[in-house]
Amino acid sequence: MMTKMNKQKIANWGKFPVIETDMIASSDFDQLRKIIAESHTIIARGNGHSYGDNSLNKEKIFSTLKLNKFISFDKQNGIFECESGVLLADVLAVIVPEGFFLPVTPGTKLITVGGAIGSNVHGKNNHSEGCFCDYVLSFSIMVETGDIKTCSPSENSELFWNTVGGMGLTGIILTAKFTLKRIETAYIRQRVLKAKNLEEIFNYFETFKNWTYSVAWIDCLQRGETIGRSILTIGEHATQAELPVKKANQPLHLKNKLKFAVPFDFPSFILNTFTVKAFNFFYYFKQIKREIENITDYDAFFYPLDAINNWNRIYGKNGFIQYQFIIPANFGKEGMSNVLQTIADSRQGSFLAVLKLYKASKEEAHNSFPIDGYSLALDFKINKQLPALIKKLDNIVERYNGRIYLAKDAMSKKSLLDYVKTPETGKFNSVQHERINGETN
Amino acid sequence: MIVFGATSDISQAFIAKVIEKEGNKYPKIYLVTSRRDATERLAKHLEVKYNQASEIIVFDITKDSDYSVFDSVHSDLLFCAIGFLGKNSQEGLYDAVNTEAVIAINYARLIPLINYFVQQFEQQKSGTIIGLSSVAGLRGRQSNFIYGSAKAGFLVYLDGLRNYLYHKGVHVITVIPGFMDTKMTEGLPLPKPLTASPKQAANIIYNAYRFKYNKVYISGIWRYIMMIINLIPETVFKKIKL
Repeated sequence: MMTKMNKQKIANWGKFPVIETDMIASSDFDQLRKIIAESHTIIARGNGHSYGDNSLNKEKIFSTLKLNKFISFDKQNGIFECESGVLLADVLAVIVPEGFFLPVTPGTKLITVGGAIGSNVHGKNNHSEGCFCDYVLSFSIMVETGDIKTCSPSENSELFWNTVGGMGLTGIILTAKFTLKRIETAYIRQRVLKAKNLEEIFNYFETFKNWTYSVAWIDCLQRGETIGRSILTIGEHATQAELPVKKANQPLHLKNKLKFAVPFDFPSFILNTFTVKAFNFFYYFKQIKREIENITDYDAFFYPLDAINNWNRIYGKNGFIQYQFIIPANFGKEGMSNVLQTIADSRQGSFLAVLKLYKASKEEAHNSFPIDGYSLALDFKINKQLPALIKKLDNIVERYNGRIYLAKDAMSKKSLLDYVKTPETGKFNSVQHERINGETN
Repeated sequence: MIVFGATSDISQAFIAKVIEKEGNKYPKIYLVTSRRDATERLAKHLEVKYNQASEIIVFDITKDSDYSVFDSVHSDLLFCAIGFLGKNSQEGLYDAVNTEAVIAINYARLIPLINYFVQQFEQQKSGTIIGLSSVAGLRGRQSNFIYGSAKAGFLVYLDGLRNYLYHKGVHVITVIPGFMDTKMTEGLPLPKPLTASPKQAANIIYNAYRFKYNKVYISGIWRYIMMIINLIPETVFKKIKL
């Protein structure tokens, strides 16, 4: 049928930048081949939950959301196969009742399997269990010629490792097969510990590094004595024996929970230094004890924000960026304290600041973000002063040999991003890739 | 459950909706299709995601007329999403092959196929038949009136069938989609507020099925749009470009 231009405005989760483009979805591989052939440049996009300008292309975007079929689920060996547009949420809905969990999951389950490979996503267990692609057995990908290649660490391995974390620049992933993790229950045994400053939180990370999951929320508006005041959450999959009787009867089934929604873009003045300070104050002091230990379900532990539809609207219609960087462990404390000082001085506080310990990906996974070090992720509302702040932060990160996560980046400098290297296909390209390439360092 | 045009976006969304709402109520879902490979992906999906058995029946409505492939196909729910938009008038009016295909798929060859199953439903004295027509069938417009006239024929057929089967205990639902974000309209510039997703369509159709509505628009606003369009006097209508 005719392929008329159908320009529409598209942005990813941070609502910045917004581009006008032609986006098309199809479940038909032959159709996709035609679309690739007819496009000058194109990029695949999943559920649009990465934050910045990756997976955007001003000429054509191929939405993988109609590549949404499950292919196989081997319940003996815990191996799952599906098409690339399937959401992690859909996978979880099927595997959890059977006693399996995703080997690695980011902080939202509303991303696609294809996106998880393209960004080689990581989560609270990065320091102990690595990235998503460490568990990918194989995937199939349509390349610029329209051919479909099956890739694994042993077959077409170069294309495999270029695609892992390759931000969609090698082709369009069609299907993927990955291993799952066995669980006894759908619950997590968690401990929540308060740290009064950076010194203490770094000690905690060290002390608790044998826990599978760990993450810290950090109050980035503190200065001086209390700089780095934070709350560490660590967790393990709960065993059936650890559950209270009421939950132990149906350990793998969770009740449907109420979902909340942000119905419209908040006016942008709502988030300001004062409200963020107030939020941070209550968040830190809502827990009075220094330490608590309890059982929580996997949704609350891994995906607290997914319970609020369109939470990105609280940043207003101009959107926000998420700034996630990592610096080597030996510079950890010094680097973080530098960054936190800079943010506190800028008075552009972020109330979703997340600190985490990482371990380096294996060498073949050359496009992956993690190194042995500490990462901090911050949200900043888009405003006039932001580019200057980002420049300052970029310089600090660069000084400590750090890097930026491309799934979040929208305005960082080339030297922090060009660890991702894929051969040019002349076909697959993103606004992000163009921006990085166009910049002279 | 029998699904004609099983790989269409609306069919897939409707199948998912029925299973999500009613569980594995149907021991088997019959997927009638002209495209075996694409339907095999769907069948596998239903099995893995919903533990739902299905059977693929390859039947190309443009040329097959041997209904014996349906000998073992029985159910109390028939969902018919077969449809073919074809070329618009500008490109297709003098293209006899295209015109014939549009008429055959949307009407001429579809009616005998449904009638084959009507017999079955009549004997069962129960069940529901759901057919997808189109707002294009409510008033002929210069841009796609061949498709529209075939859908109009189908609309009247469903009216009559509903009347006929009412007395036999069988319910017939006419679904009238407006703009839909599906394979059929891929690449067409459609106004967003008036365009429904397959999922929204499936919800509306499922409600119609559950509460035994006779005619449903997808979405509701199209009832009013078409009301207005139908009110335009012909002397005026013939002059406007729609």
